[in-house]
Formats: sequence, structure tokens, C-alpha cells
Amino acid sequence: MKLREYEAKNVLKAAGIPIPAGFLIRSADELTPHLTGLGDAFVLKAQVDVGGRGKAGGILMADKATGTKVAAELFAKEIKGLPVKEILAEQKLDIRHEYYLSITVDRSSKQPLILFTEAGGVEIEITAREHPELIKKVVANPLMKDLPPFMIRELIGTAPKEIGPVINRLYKIFIEKDALLAEINPLVTTPNGVFAADAKIIVDDNALGRQGITVNRGLSEREREAEKHGFSYVELDGAIGVIGNGAGLTMATLDLIEFYGGNAANFLDVGGGAEADRVEKAVRLVASVPAVKVIVVNLLGGITKCDEVAKGIIAAGISQKVIVRLAGTNEAEGRRLLSEKGYEMLETMDLVVKKAVEVTA
Amino acid sequence: MIYGDKNTGILVQGATGRQGEFHIGLMNAYAKQVGGRGVVAGVTPGKGGQQVHGVPVYNTVKEAMKHHDIGASVIFVPAGAAADAIMEEANAGITTIVCITEHMPVQDTMKAIAYARMEGASVIGPNCPGLLSPGEVKMGIMPAGLFMRGNVGVISRSGTLTYEVVDELTRAGIGQSTVIGIGGDPVIGQTFADVLERFGKDPETKAVVLVGEVGGNLEEEGAKSTNLPIVSYIAGVSAPPDKRMGHAGAIVEGGEGDAKSKIARLKKHGVPVASRVSEIPEMVRELFRGTC
Repeated sequence: MKLREYEAKNVLKAAGIPIPAGFLIRSADELTPHLTGLGDAFVLKAQVDVGGRGKAGGILMADKATGTKVAAELFAKEIKGLPVKEILAEQKLDIRHEYYLSITVDRSSKQPLILFTEAGGVEIEITAREHPELIKKVVANPLMKDLPPFMIRELIGTAPKEIGPVINRLYKIFIEKDALLAEINPLVTTPNGVFAADAKIIVDDNALGRQGITVNRGLSEREREAEKHGFSYVELDGAIGVIGNGAGLTMATLDLIEFYGGNAANFLDVGGGAEADRVEKAVRLVASVPAVKVIVVNLLGGITKCDEVAKGIIAAGISQKVIVRLAGTNEAEGRRLLSEKGYEMLETMDLVVKKAVEVTA
Repeated sequence: MIYGDKNTGILVQGATGRQGEFHIGLMNAYAKQVGGRGVVAGVTPGKGGQQVHGVPVYNTVKEAMKHHDIGASVIFVPAGAAADAIMEEANAGITTIVCITEHMPVQDTMKAIAYARMEGASVIGPNCPGLLSPGEVKMGIMPAGLFMRGNVGVISRSGTLTYEVVDELTRAGIGQSTVIGIGGDPVIGQTFADVLERFGKDPETKAVVLVGEVGGNLEEEGAKSTNLPIVSYIAGVSAPPDKRMGHAGAIVEGGEGDAKSKIARLKKHGVPVASRVSEIPEMVRELFRGTC
């Protein structure tokens, strides 16, 4: 789950990384008492859970005279379809130079990867493509609590030494906060020292509990509902509902729908142990999406009991057509139960998907 | 064989839990069928002295090692305890560690793998179904009924999709040397390249099916690292960016790791890529026609 900018900055501040003076407001009126603390000119930044908010008009400049009016304008906006409920009002920094600093999980080395470049202020992807030599990289053994000074020297190069402690503090945040990404872009130097002008932290969804985060804001309401039942669920925009067991098989089912020219409405992995009540819940959940015209159920596994799955599908009693591919134990009984109620059960995933695409064509 | 054979004694951590108990039963049923040693010891702290399906349970891995010849382990403990389980086994001298546990925090996985590497142990997983060498050994949760012994290795980031591939191969009369699920998480111990290195030295393996998915570039790294003939399949061609497709590692981030560019890179490297699972057996036959 991605933290909002002000949450990420609070994490930085607590770890001793300087951040600009700023205040979180939930209405334009709340700005008034803070006006003296922000200086003449300041920035208003919408705190919404989407990327690219700057280009979408979510960051506005303001000053003492216009502040409240500009804040009201921003609160009235929608940024990429999301309402603005919180704004971070922040001091405008006197920036001398912009740097880029990030720590990510490197799948190849299986270690934290730290990137630093003096060529800040440009999108990092562009620098990586056009001037990869400007990006310094080190991987750190995750068993180390601190980065050794030589690694920090390798990263900083000729940049100001005061950046060193920021790199080590961000590394500690990355480890301690169960981050998948900790990024300061830009990290800036000013006449008053180094500041994290922006901050991005993504917390591992598998560690939210121990990080004290109770609601995963990265998921839609239906995705959260699915998670409660132990399903992995992703909403898409087609007409063919999909229920599978195992992430890979479910993904392959979606791909097959695309291969035959159809569009999937969702990805739903029921996980291990497809008992009748879990299957019933999954079928109901997928059927509750108005666009779903037909549901493909594709379950495979040595220990999946086909009669149980059939009972779950029948108990859900939904109005949409359900086409089933089941492979496991008690196949004959499952087939008998389903065909009695008029559900189709076919042999292979190619056949069920082809059939579903025909139905929606 | 890679990672183990009939003579490999297996230890199960989390032996007295529901999953552990269930799969000790299945692993030993398979061992009995093929005449292998199977699971010889279990570990659950505080449950030492108990038995699960006749397998003695110990409080610590070191204790179990004193009484048994153990070459590999399979872990079924909850996510919060999995890093500790991996490190305990590596420290006790087990060299092949299969971690079935899913939902491990990535920071835990990175630490456990870094520690295991220092101790000289190979970690398979986490969030994986383990491995099965037909007629020899089963370490994990794969449904043994689908498999047939032969010369094709299968490496996959998935569970059930692996079974689908194996089912297709077996139905087509193509047997398998070893089938291994390396796990669906962003950080995993043994990667495609590591397993391919072992397949490269395995006289039983003549060709490999590499089943990948969106996220990262371990498939391409693997394909580049070997001279073995490979057929690949990549799941997630229709996956939208920035969405986790069930597996923690199955995500297209910052425009990287999408299926289409992965497939393009594999093809550029000369690896045939199936667009449907059902095409794999015919492509494997093609491979054998071309090389044998």
C-alpha cells in the first residue's frame, strides 16, 4: 500500500530526515491559522491515492493573499476521478540543486537496491535510458542494520556530504517499515540545508498488520471484500467473470479469453481448498458486478473435490450463465450435479473459454 | 535428479499444523509408492515427542538432525515464523530448503535468503508448491497423480498452472524429469537461472519448459544462462499495469516486467513461446525433433 505524501514525510521526519515546513488541512478555512508559518509563497498539494497528480492539476502555487481561495479551488477538484479530501500546505523551498534517491527490492540480487543520481529534477526513467552512467547503484546485504560508509561514498560521489546521513536514514526506514519502495524525489539542497521535497513509501501488503495499518487503501471496496474471504481479486472491464484456483492458472484463463477475442470482467483466485461455501461466495461476488454476462470457473488440483465445487455453484443460484471446467476428485458426481441444474461442464480450459467468448460475442 | 532423490530424507517444519500433517501423509504415501525415504522427521517447537503419521516430531531442527539423516526440508509454518524456520534449518546444516508458506513479508524473505546463502543452503520459494521428480521424490504439495517420468524439466513461478502444464505434457505422452515451482513472490531463493544450472548437469533432463509470469525479468535472465533447449509460456499477457495478479510478485511496475516485452525478449533469444498452455506439448515435440 502506498502511503500518502504527508504520511511518508512524517515517517522521514521521525527518522531525522529534514522535510519542508507544512500543514495538513481538510478544508480551506483550516489554512488561515497556518498562513504565518508558511512564508509568503507556498505550495498546495492534493493528498490523493493516484500517481501523476501534478500533471492532473493536483499541485497549485499560492501565497498569503490568495491561499484560502486557491485551497478552496483545489478542494472542489477531482484528481483523476478522486475527490480531494486532504491538502498538504507546504513551504516553498529555495532550491539550489535536485537529486534523486530511492531504495527498492532488487529481484535479481534478492537485496535492497539503492539508486542515487545528481541528475535530479528529470524523470528517473528518462535518465536511466539516456544517461545510465549518471545513476549510481549499490545493493546492500539486508542483514545489515546500517549502510557501511564506503557504500554511501560510492553513491554520493561529488555531491554534498550532508546527503550521506539521509541515505542511511532512508535505508533504515526501508528495512524497519517493511517498504517495497522508499523514494525521495527530489532530494534538494537549499541555503538552509538538505530537504526531502517529495517522498514516496510503498509498504508491503504482507506486512501491513505488523506495521499497524488496518485498512489497505490500495484496494477497491470489492477487492477488500474479496480479501476478507481470502480471495485475490482484481477488477477489469469486460463481460466474462473469471474464477480460478491459483494465481498463474487464473491469469492464464484471462489470457485465453483475450486470445479468443473476449474481455474478462475480473481476476478471482479462490486460493487453496475450494470448498462449497467459498465457491458460492466467489460466484456471488463476481456475479454482483453488473457488466458480468457469463462466468468461467476453471479449477484444477489433485485435491479439489468437484462435487463440493458443484454444490457451491448451484447454491449461489445466480442469474448469469456459468461454464465450468473442473479437474480433481469426484469429477463424475460434480458433472452430474451441474448438468442436472443446467450448468455446462467442459473438459479443458480452451473449451470453457471459447464457449464463454461465444456467449458474450 | 536435482535437489533430491529416493534416498533423500525430508524434514517438515510445522509438522503438527493442519497443512503440515496433511502433506506429510501425502508425501509419505508417494515415498511408499516409489520406494523412497520420504519424510523422516518433523519439527514443531513445544511438540517434541509427538508423532504425525508415524513420523517423530522434535522441538528443534538440530535435535532432529541428531537422530536422522536429513537432506532437505519442507516448511509449512505461518508467514510470520517462516524466516526463522528457514534460518534455523540453514544453521543446522540442511542444504535444500523448500518454503511452501505464502504471504511472507519481503523484508523477512530477503534476510532469510541472505542468511541461508551465507550458510550454504539453497531456498526454494517461498510461496511455492515445491518440487516433484516422478518416481523418485516429492517435496511439497504437488498432486502426484498428474505426473509421468521422462526427460522434460518444468520450472514455474506458479502452482496450479504448473499442474495444468504437467497434465498437458502427461496426456501427450511427454514425461517429466523434475517439476519445480520456484514461487510467486517478488523475492525468491532459487531462480530460473539457478534451477537451469542444475538441469544442465542432470543427465535425465533433455529439455525444459519455463513457465513464467508478469513481474521482474528472471525468466529472461534464466533463458540467457543456459544451453538447454527451452519452451516457454508467460502468464499475464492481459494483466493491467500496477495491479498484483494474485501473486505478490506478479505485478507490472514502472512499465517493467510486462508479459509482451518479456515474450519479445525470450523470442529474440531464440526461445519459442507458447501463446496457450495447450500448445506446449507440440512445441516440446518440435524441440526434440530439432535437437535429437
